[in-house]
Amino acid sequence: MSYYHKSIKPLFLRFASMPLAIVLLMVLALASMIGTVLLQNQGQADYLSQFGPVWYWVFRSLGLFDMYHSWWFIGLLGFLMVSLSFCLWHNIPRMLKEMRSRKITLADHAWKRMQHTHEWTVADTTVEQLQEKAQSVAEWKWLSEQQGGRTHLRGDKGRYHKWGYILVHSALLVILIGGWMSVQFGFRGNMAVPEGASESEISYVKGTGVEYLDMPFDVRCNSFEIDFFPNGMPKLFRSNLTIIDNGKEVLTSDIIVNEPLYYKGVRIYQASFGDGGSKIGLKLFHLDGSKRVDVVEGEIYKTYTDTKTGISMEFTDFKPYNVENMAEPGAPKQFRDIGPAVDFILRGPGLKPVKVRSFLNPFIVGDQNQGSLMMVSMSGDNRDFESFFLGPDLSDPKEWDLFHAFAGKLSGNSDTAEGAAVEAFKASVSEVYGDKAPKDFKDLGIRTLQGMNVLTSLPWPFIPVLEEYEQVYYTGLQLARDPGMNVVWLGSALLTFGLCIMLYVAHRKVWLVFETKGKGVYVRMAGMTNRNTMAFEQEFNLFLTELERDFSISRQGESV
Amino acid sequence: MTAAVESTFFRGIYQGRIVHTRFWLYMGFIVGASLLAFFGGSGYDEDAYIFRLLSMQGVIWGGVGALLGAAASMLLGDGRASAVTSSVPWFDGLILMLLLMGAFTLLEPHAALISYEDQSNLFSGRIVMAMNLLFIFSAVCYIMYLFAPDSFIGKMATMTAWGGVYAGGTSLLLRWYESYLLLDGDIGHAPVSNLYEVFILLFCVTGCIYLAFERRYQAKALGAFVMVIIAAGVFFGVWLDSIGQADIKPLVPALQSYWMKIHVPLNFVGYGAFAVACAAGMAWLVRSGLEQKGTSKLLKVFPTLDQLDQLAYKSVAVGFPAFTLATILGAAWAAEAWGGYWSWDPKETWALIVWMFYGAYLHVRISHGWSGKTLAWWAVVGFLVTLFCFVGVNMYLSGLHSYGKLA
Repeated sequence: MSYYHKSIKPLFLRFASMPLAIVLLMVLALASMIGTVLLQNQGQADYLSQFGPVWYWVFRSLGLFDMYHSWWFIGLLGFLMVSLSFCLWHNIPRMLKEMRSRKITLADHAWKRMQHTHEWTVADTTVEQLQEKAQSVAEWKWLSEQQGGRTHLRGDKGRYHKWGYILVHSALLVILIGGWMSVQFGFRGNMAVPEGASESEISYVKGTGVEYLDMPFDVRCNSFEIDFFPNGMPKLFRSNLTIIDNGKEVLTSDIIVNEPLYYKGVRIYQASFGDGGSKIGLKLFHLDGSKRVDVVEGEIYKTYTDTKTGISMEFTDFKPYNVENMAEPGAPKQFRDIGPAVDFILRGPGLKPVKVRSFLNPFIVGDQNQGSLMMVSMSGDNRDFESFFLGPDLSDPKEWDLFHAFAGKLSGNSDTAEGAAVEAFKASVSEVYGDKAPKDFKDLGIRTLQGMNVLTSLPWPFIPVLEEYEQVYYTGLQLARDPGMNVVWLGSALLTFGLCIMLYVAHRKVWLVFETKGKGVYVRMAGMTNRNTMAFEQEFNLFLTELERDFSISRQGESV
Repeated sequence: MTAAVESTFFRGIYQGRIVHTRFWLYMGFIVGASLLAFFGGSGYDEDAYIFRLLSMQGVIWGGVGALLGAAASMLLGDGRASAVTSSVPWFDGLILMLLLMGAFTLLEPHAALISYEDQSNLFSGRIVMAMNLLFIFSAVCYIMYLFAPDSFIGKMATMTAWGGVYAGGTSLLLRWYESYLLLDGDIGHAPVSNLYEVFILLFCVTGCIYLAFERRYQAKALGAFVMVIIAAGVFFGVWLDSIGQADIKPLVPALQSYWMKIHVPLNFVGYGAFAVACAAGMAWLVRSGLEQKGTSKLLKVFPTLDQLDQLAYKSVAVGFPAFTLATILGAAWAAEAWGGYWSWDPKETWALIVWMFYGAYLHVRISHGWSGKTLAWWAVVGFLVTLFCFVGVNMYLSGLHSYGKLA
């Protein structure tokens, strides 16, 4: 490091130091927590209403709403990279040197620092014999040296464990570089493609705004479908896509979640779905007693305005399946599909705007027809939907007639006795249905009475009921290009490999010193490891007993 | 100590040629089964794979693999690699678990009585109940062992702990099987898809790691701390069951991937090891407290401070690479399902926080040579951070991992 200026060296060492690394790790850990508690990349209006103007501006200026891309967080990561680089630069030469240098002889003070030592005398043998015996244990890498009339042996196991450190720290650097490449040269954004349409632009959130990027090709969604489990949970989302490059159809393929499509370095993922502007037809049942029924056409995301009444319906969503739990609370769940429904916001002069969900089919449990169903949410939130049974099954025009016939007969009759109502109902039925009385006569009665209660108390001039639909989905795609990904995988492989070396390979050293004493040999043995001392203690003792046995066998062999 | 319990037969099958051949037999089977996944029939089919493995096709591919493995063992000679002798008992245990599961499938209710809506009559629920009792009983025995280091109580503690591990593992395997009995086999999936299932997995992994340590390092007093953690988890599991979270449910499309079977269990090797490290840290703190008070009978039972310190480190050394690999594989899955390997999703971020926390632990330990009180606390706090990553994120934060959420 002689080529550094003197003033740089302390700074360099500070960057490469361990305490800094630990402090950095802890600071990064604490900083990362903020972003998990504070929801990231939400709408600015939500943040403003959540925190109030003062805190909103404080948080916003600190970049906390997109924290992981804020200058200070990126700065921290950069700092980590600098620290890692300096650490590697500083330590690699030292470690390589350490791995190469293997001191064979041990000074006396070094003996005292050894974790394990043992000494004994083997009779009737020579140093050469023992040395040969010891070195025949191939698991240890041996070196020997003669010094001061003694023979020194050194055995090593796991000598290359320091590569673990080098690999792990280089791997982290590689991963961080890969991450930087992903951010710098890659992109990731979303597009919504209605069935039958095509799209070439993605949008993504950057900081507090939304940005757009043109893809070098068009994506057309041919179809989108959902499969369901028998309990109504979605099983599969599948889009059939065609890639159009320079006006030519180059590729058609299905994609599902977990199986993206790959084209020109861009991966196309199935991310979400929604209504792509379904066409719907509604019947408006006027409640002014005129029996009038209008048929109107609409489309999701568009608004229909009734010119006479000034009432508007903003269609927000359409779903062909509506699976609801039909069981009483506490009873085993019973999921059932109650058919297609359209959501719209109903506004009008003198009316409180409400969200309405209108169903195509009447609500039928078993054989019992409970009439048309409608859900209304006063707050406009989907969670606040309340069910209303309108009474008549409005999908059957005869019931609408029956309702009016009955209403007319009741109002014409001042007798309010129960019997009179029943008579009026019977008369209405025979008027509408003729001689062929309907089978569910009793339920029909209940429905019609319910209608008298509900329909007459509605504040609206008409009831909109879903009549027909032509469904169009949009498929929500995520498109991403990630040139840094393979670099990250390389770093990850190095990291795993390095960690295993670092944590499981211990550098174990043993020294043996032989010295001729009379007819025998005086043996001293020492052992040391940098890690996993418990296992090494066992290993050392095992090796020791083995050597003692081998040595004594060699002696016996000699004496025979 | 355990050698005295085991008969010569058991010692025999874990020695020499027998264990060596068996190791390569298992390896051969795994390779054969993997090749079946990739090249058998029309390639990998998530739903049908398990049935394929159990069909004639699986017998052929796996059997040929196993035979080739056994043949290879003849050529490879009789090595003394510790990897062989230490891994074979785990494979044997797994086989035993599979056999138990096979036997329990006979006790399932009649097909007509099985319904998705009411899963309370499925047999795995009863085995989970047995597991709960075994673990709690084991925790009590381990605590009694501290005060009465009687070999009988000690054996009882170890045996019930093993019983709990087997019951837990078997119940999970049985749930896997049961998931194919519901809704015409449409929703079959590996039993690592919700909080209840992964809790059982966590008990088993934690138990296994601890019991391996107990066997190897004779650190039985540690069991009191590990089993208390597990028993606490058992109560949480019972609560989950009581609020209806134990039902087998279909997998949302994002989870329908072979990655789930790899990513989730590997993560729990990490979590389990961190739990054992936490127990060792607690034991260290208790022992050091006892030592300060003076002599206590308990001190004779406890491993020394140095041993406890090392055990904590060893657990982290098991957990950290597993957790690292699990996080990397999670990133690989995310790259395939979510459009990017890293999205700063709360779960991901907390995994990173856990990783950095234990990374710092290893730094101060390996490079700075710290040990003792600070590191004992570090291991305890580390597990609390892990717990938040595991349960807390699901309960309090939202994000892409929201299928782990409590309803």
